[in-house]
Amino acid sequence: MSAVHQTFEAVRIALAALRANTARGVLTTLGIIIGIVAVVTTMTAANGLANSFRESASIIGADVLYISHHPWIVTGNFFQFRNRPRISLKEGEKLERRLRSAVAVNPTAETGRSIKYRSDVRDNIRIIGTSHKHMLMSSAVPEVGRFFSAQDVQSRRRVCVIGKTIHEQLFRDVDPINKKLKVGRFDFRIIGVMEKQGSAGFFGGPDFDSQVFIPISTFARIFGSRHRDFDIGVKAPPGVALADYEYEVIGEMRKIRKLSPTEDDNFSINKMESLMDAFNNVMGVVVLIGLAITGVSLFVGGVGVMNIMFVSVTERTKEIGIRKAIGAKRRAILSQFLFESAAICLVGGAVGVVLSFAVAAIIDKLVMPASVSPAIVVTALLVALAVGVLAGIVPAWRASRLNPIDALRYE
Amino acid sequence: MGLDVQSVTKTYNLNSIAVEALRGVSMSLGESEYVAIMGPSGSGKSTLMNIIGCLDVPTSGRYFIDGQDVTTLGEDRLAEVRNAKIGFVFQTFNLLPRADVFHNVELPLIYRGLKPSRRREMAMEAIDAVGLADRVKHKPTELSGGQRQRVAIARALATSPSVILADEPTGNLDTVTGSEIMAIFDDLQRRGHAILLVTHEEDVARHAHRIVRLRDGLIESDTAQREAA
Repeated sequence: MSAVHQTFEAVRIALAALRANTARGVLTTLGIIIGIVAVVTTMTAANGLANSFRESASIIGADVLYISHHPWIVTGNFFQFRNRPRISLKEGEKLERRLRSAVAVNPTAETGRSIKYRSDVRDNIRIIGTSHKHMLMSSAVPEVGRFFSAQDVQSRRRVCVIGKTIHEQLFRDVDPINKKLKVGRFDFRIIGVMEKQGSAGFFGGPDFDSQVFIPISTFARIFGSRHRDFDIGVKAPPGVALADYEYEVIGEMRKIRKLSPTEDDNFSINKMESLMDAFNNVMGVVVLIGLAITGVSLFVGGVGVMNIMFVSVTERTKEIGIRKAIGAKRRAILSQFLFESAAICLVGGAVGVVLSFAVAAIIDKLVMPASVSPAIVVTALLVALAVGVLAGIVPAWRASRLNPIDALRYE
Repeated sequence: MGLDVQSVTKTYNLNSIAVEALRGVSMSLGESEYVAIMGPSGSGKSTLMNIIGCLDVPTSGRYFIDGQDVTTLGEDRLAEVRNAKIGFVFQTFNLLPRADVFHNVELPLIYRGLKPSRRREMAMEAIDAVGLADRVKHKPTELSGGQRQRVAIARALATSPSVILADEPTGNLDTVTGSEIMAIFDDLQRRGHAILLVTHEEDVARHAHRIVRLRDGLIESDTAQREAA
């Protein structure tokens, strides 16, 4: 009961002190404000990156293995992969025959070509040769029209499905379905538009919305397949651990390539997980840098608050003497100044959070989707509170130890 | 009951030179007694007042308040005793400048841990007793010196202490206001409060029923006055 009343008194004193020294408080909290903006922005950016990456990654498919010439994330010497044989369409067909349990085996190839609608040209667009099985591998679906059918692939039809950005840039309000699109020197009929998928651009990856899909058979016929490097997507059967299935795929691939047991694999298995790992590494560094900046600014801010608390204690030496004379115990004085320092930092934290919303809005507009989550707000305020308490401890402790006689005599 | 100071000494170490401020002082103050402590500066009067007010502890000797030995108490226990037993009135008023009259008077009751309704009741009663009921929302800076000292008296009264300890209560006031304040003390004494005045003014000391004179850390005289009953 008494603790509650005295706490209430401590809060009241803290607020009165803040009101009396508003300008000083604002200056003091600058460090805290910057620190909190750094905390919130770092966490928000990290969340935004992780979200947009996860979105992009789901297009790749979590249970799909990609057999490729080299790994997506190359660590070490790139030249070690130079002498590997290309992955051929034939190997894709052989693998499909061997992996009977797989949901789908889908060889793909890609090339860069210019595309043209009427007189509107876009250069160096990713043209991807794939099949109707593409729909099994990836979470992406057409927004309008349809993807290829098995028939389209078998008959090597010149049909294509375009990405959302291409739709927006070349067609604007025109319905692109059944319009003629020139890919390289060849005419294609547009049969579908993919829904917006986002970009893996921040990762040095492709913009998924600026690509054109054509049937792999058509691709091989018009762009050639002899010297081309294919990727083979293999969707694992449901209920089988991807890691186990990877061994099976490697085994079958080695058989196809007739590798002796002493030879290394001359192909690579890629999967979303390895991208995830690489992403997490990068994120770890980003977050670490963010936290370092945050730590430094909060430390500087905290020292500023501590300094101002020492000033506050000195200024109010007489008041401390009066309070002690009429019966305030050490703990009452201690909590009075702890509350004051916590209140300064909480106010700074709150201002920082408000500013962070503005920063997040700018990031959202210019860089990537970002929004401040309630959990981040709560964390930031708790951090501010912790800084306040830490910065206040020594000054408050000093205040609580003042001798009442000396304090009363202080002018 | 009351205060009982027994053979109290106090030695300070100033730059490793021992200074004996009190060299064996014994005195007592009964319930509703009205005593003035007098003495020139350096006589040990402030030291004695600090010890009686539980702001300081003696080097040797014993000090009892209402039968309780307070010489052995720690800092926080002394704060409790000050809160419960002592009502301070200072020369410079020592009010909290940012707090209004009510909050100043309420403050010791907060540190006692009373609930708000009880605090309001006790504080208002004390403010009424010094005639400032129409000034409760005023800040000390909006009051005259005499009014400020009355707030201080109300703060001392609010806790119903065993003794009101007044250190030069009229030192910062003009003669007219000073005698108004002394009239309040006289009135409080008639209503049963024990009052200990520390002063160097004979006019002020004359209000008390007994005068204790200190010199060089010892009691020079302890005499009852004519007016005393």
